[in-house]
Amino acid sequence: MSFLAPWALWLGVLAAVPLALHLWRRRTAAPVAFPAVRYLQRMAQDHAREVRVQNLLLLLLRLAIVAAIALAAARPFAAVPAAGHAPVAMAVVLDNSLSSQAVTDEGPMLARLREMAEAILAEAGGEDRLSLVTMDGVTLGGDVATLRSALAEVTPLDGAGDAARALTRAAAVVRESPLAIRQVVVLTDGQRTSWDSAAIAAVAREGVGLRVAVPTSTWRPNHALLEAVAVPPVWGSAGAVRLRVATMDSVSWRVQVEGRTFARGTVGAEGTAIARGRPMTRGWGAATAELAPDELRGDDRRHLAVRIGDPPAVEVDPSSGPFVARAVDALIDAGRLRRGAGTLIGAIARPGVTAVVLAPTDPLRLPDLNRALERAGIPWRYAAPRRSETPLRFDAMAAGKEVNDGQAPMVRRWYPLTLTSATNTEMPRVDTLARIGEAPWALRGDGYLIIASPLDDLATDLPLSARFVPWLGAMLTERLDAGEVGVIETVPGAMLTVPRGADALELSEGELRPMTAGAQMDAPWRAGVSFWRRGPTRVGALVVNPEPAESDPDRRDVAALAELLDATALPSDLRAIGPATFATAGPRPLDRALLLLVVLLLLAEALAARRGRRTSAPSLPD
Amino acid sequence: MDPAALAALGRLEVVSRWLAQGFLQGLHRSPKKGFSVEFAEHRPYQPGDDLRFLDWKVAARADRWLLKQFEEETNLRATIVLDVSRSMDWQGAPTRLTKAAYASHLVAALTRILLRQRDAVGLVRFDDEIRTALPPRSNQQQGHRIIAALEEPGGGQGSDAAGALARAGALVTRRGMVVLVSDLLLDPDEVDATVRGLRAQGHDVTVLHLLDPAERRFDLPQGESTFVDPEGGAAERAIPAEVRTLYASTVGEVLDEWRARCAAVGASYEPVLTDQPFALPLRRAFAARQRHP
Repeated sequence: MSFLAPWALWLGVLAAVPLALHLWRRRTAAPVAFPAVRYLQRMAQDHAREVRVQNLLLLLLRLAIVAAIALAAARPFAAVPAAGHAPVAMAVVLDNSLSSQAVTDEGPMLARLREMAEAILAEAGGEDRLSLVTMDGVTLGGDVATLRSALAEVTPLDGAGDAARALTRAAAVVRESPLAIRQVVVLTDGQRTSWDSAAIAAVAREGVGLRVAVPTSTWRPNHALLEAVAVPPVWGSAGAVRLRVATMDSVSWRVQVEGRTFARGTVGAEGTAIARGRPMTRGWGAATAELAPDELRGDDRRHLAVRIGDPPAVEVDPSSGPFVARAVDALIDAGRLRRGAGTLIGAIARPGVTAVVLAPTDPLRLPDLNRALERAGIPWRYAAPRRSETPLRFDAMAAGKEVNDGQAPMVRRWYPLTLTSATNTEMPRVDTLARIGEAPWALRGDGYLIIASPLDDLATDLPLSARFVPWLGAMLTERLDAGEVGVIETVPGAMLTVPRGADALELSEGELRPMTAGAQMDAPWRAGVSFWRRGPTRVGALVVNPEPAESDPDRRDVAALAELLDATALPSDLRAIGPATFATAGPRPLDRALLLLVVLLLLAEALAARRGRRTSAPSLPD
Repeated sequence: MDPAALAALGRLEVVSRWLAQGFLQGLHRSPKKGFSVEFAEHRPYQPGDDLRFLDWKVAARADRWLLKQFEEETNLRATIVLDVSRSMDWQGAPTRLTKAAYASHLVAALTRILLRQRDAVGLVRFDDEIRTALPPRSNQQQGHRIIAALEEPGGGQGSDAAGALARAGALVTRRGMVVLVSDLLLDPDEVDATVRGLRAQGHDVTVLHLLDPAERRFDLPQGESTFVDPEGGAAERAIPAEVRTLYASTVGEVLDEWRARCAAVGASYEPVLTDQPFALPLRRAFAARQRHP
C-alpha cells in the first residue's frame, strides 16, 4: 500500500481522543441523585456482559472511524484483487487496414482482432475511459456498450490507413483524460510494412503506456494486382491496360470499363499482362482490373481511369529542332498524338494558340520571341542566356509521377524566365514542372508550357536521354491539353491538392462535392475512381487504389513488434488478453472505499448507540 | 391536563377540589349513588336470604317472593397509605412534579371524591416511621385534616411500608379499602406479607406504584455519572445513553414482578408515571371503591 498524502496518517493519533475520553470519563463520573439505583444495580448484575460488550463495541467503532478517516485522508493506493483494476484511460487501436481482410487458417483476421477487442472490453470497469481508434483515424469514445456497437460496425479499409495518425490520435485521447493511468492498446495483424516507419517511431506518447497484441496466424499464399495502367493514356478506337501481378501461379484476370467487360485472360508467374480491347464509349470513364479472388480480396482489384477520344493534335515549328521533331513523329506513330492544328511547339508563340514555347537556339532571336510572348499574352520573358553545368530537377508533384529516377540530365545553356513587370503584382497561376537549382526551367500556365532551354544537345542532355520521348508525350497529352487536369493517382486517405481547373469532384458513389482549386483535401478512404469536374464536364480523374505494400505477406510476431514499438506484448489468447491488459494498471485508490467505510462505521455506531438509547419498555396501561 | 401545569394553578386544597369535581362530572351515573335507606329494586328470594327484607305486601298480593333491595346504608371506610420517604422527593426533569407532590395531589383529590360520596377516609403517611395516622372519618373536617397533613414534611431515610400498612389495617376496624401510594423502592417481601394480612382481614388493597418517567426509561441527559440513591446511599456508575434499553428492560421486569405479587394476594396494582394525568390513578382507585357493596 502506498499513500499520496502520507503526512495525513498523523491524523490517526486522533484515535486516542475517544479512547482518552472513554477512560477519563470513567474516572470523573459526576454523582447524580437517582432513587432507582437498585434497578441500575440489578440491571448491571443481570446484563453485566452485555453492557461490557456494548461499551467495547462502541469504543472500537469510534476508534475505527477516526482511523479510517485518517487513512482516507492519506489517500492510499493498493492492489485489491476483488476490487478490480484502477480506473484506466485506454484507447484501443484496431488495425482495420486492407490486410485485415485476409482470411487465415484461424479465420478472418479482422474478426479475430474484433474478438480480442471484445475480450478487453469485457474486463473494463465502469470508471474506465475507453476509446476506439481505427486506422483511418476515426476515434470513438464511450461506455463499453457503445464501443461494442462500434466494433461491430468496423469494416476493413481499402488501403493501409495511417498507423502513425491512429497512434497519435489514440495517445492524444488518453492524454486528455484526467485519469492517472493512460494506455494505448494496438490490435494488429503485425504486417511489417504498416509499422516499420519513421512516422510511427516519432509519435509522441510520453506518459502513455503502449501495449500490442498480434493474433497467431497461418498465412496462405496470396496473389495481388500491383498495377493497372491505361496505355496510351488517351484511347482512340482501341486501347490497352498493362497489368502487373504478384503471383506464384497462373491467375485469371478481367478488365471492365464502365461496367462492361473490356478484356480477360490469364497471367502466369512472370506477372505481366496486356489487356487489349476496343472501348465502346468516349470521354472519361472508370475501369477496373481484377484477379480471381483469393484469401485477401482487397488486393485483387485495382481501379484506373481511361480517357477515350482523339489524340491531341500537334503542330511542330522548325525552330523546335530535330530532337523534338523526331520525338513527335514517334508519338504520332504510336497513336498518342496526331498532326494538325492544335498545340504549337517551337521557339514561337501565337495569340490564342496553345503552345510549348522553347528558348531559341540563337540568342539574337530572343527579342522577337519575347515580343511574340507579349502578343500571345504569356506573362513570362526570357532573360539573357546563362551557361553553367547544372542538373535538371523535375518536380514530381507537378508532373504527377516520379520522374527523378536515374541520373538527372544536365543543362548547360538556359535563359532565366522572368515575369513581366505588368504581372508582378499578381502571380499568374502556374506549375513549375522542372528547375535548375531554385530557378524554374519548365513552367506550365493556362494554355502554354514554356521551357528555359532549347531542346538540343548543346543546351541540355534531356533530348539524349531515354526519358525524353515519354516526358514530351506526357507534357503534350496529359499536361497541356487545354482544359484537362489529367489523372491523379493516390492511396486511400492521402492528402492532396485540388488541381487547377477543377471546381468539383464527382465521387464514385455519384455524389458531387464542390472543391476549390489549390485547397488541400483528403482522398476518399474507399478505393475507386472519382472525376474532377468543371461545371458539367469531366476534366480529369482521381484514382484511389490500395498501396501495393498491403499485399506483402511479411508479418512480425508480437514479441518483435513489441520490441520495435517499445511496447508491452499482450497474449493473443482471448481468455488472457483482458486480464493481461489491465493487470499492470496499477494499484487502486482506496480513499473512496475508506470514506464509504467511514459512513458505514458511523451508521453502525449510531445503531449501536441507538440500541442503548431506545426504550423498549411496553407502554403502561391506563 | 399536565399534572405539573395543573398543580401550579393553586394550592393543594383548591386543586384537589377541581380534580374531584372534574372526576365526578366525568363519571357515568352509578347504581350506588345513594346513601340513604331508599328502596332500590326487587330480586327473587333465594333460600338463605334474610327474611326481614322480604316484601310481604307483594307476597300477599301477588304470591311472589321478592326481596327488597336498598341502597347502601353504611359508608366505605378507606385508608390511604402514602410514602413520604426521601426517594419520593425526586423529579427526573424540572418540568415535572416530584413523586411526592404528584402523590399529594392524587391523595387530596381521592380524599375529596370519597368524602363527597360520604365515605370515611383516613391517611397514614410514612417514611422510616409513621409521620401521620388519621383514622377514617366521613365529615368535611377530615378533608382539611388530611390536606393539612399532606403539607407536612417527610423525607426520612427509609420506608417502613409494612408498618404503615399494618397501622392502616388497625385503623380500619371493619372491611374496607386500603390504597398504598408509593414508589415501592422498598423490600417487596415485607410489603407482600403485610398486604397478604390485610387481604386476610377482608380489606380491598390497591397499590399505586409511582414512578418518574426517568426512573422508567432512564432518559436522563447526563453522560457517564455515578448515580446515588438519596435514601440508602447506594451508588452505581452508568452512561444512560448506552444502557437505556437494558435498564428499561430491567424496570419492566420489576413492574411485572410487582404485578404478579399483587395478583397473587388479590391486590390491585397499577404503575403510575408522574407525567400522566391524575385521572388515570383516580379511576383505578375509584374502581376499587366501586367493588364494595
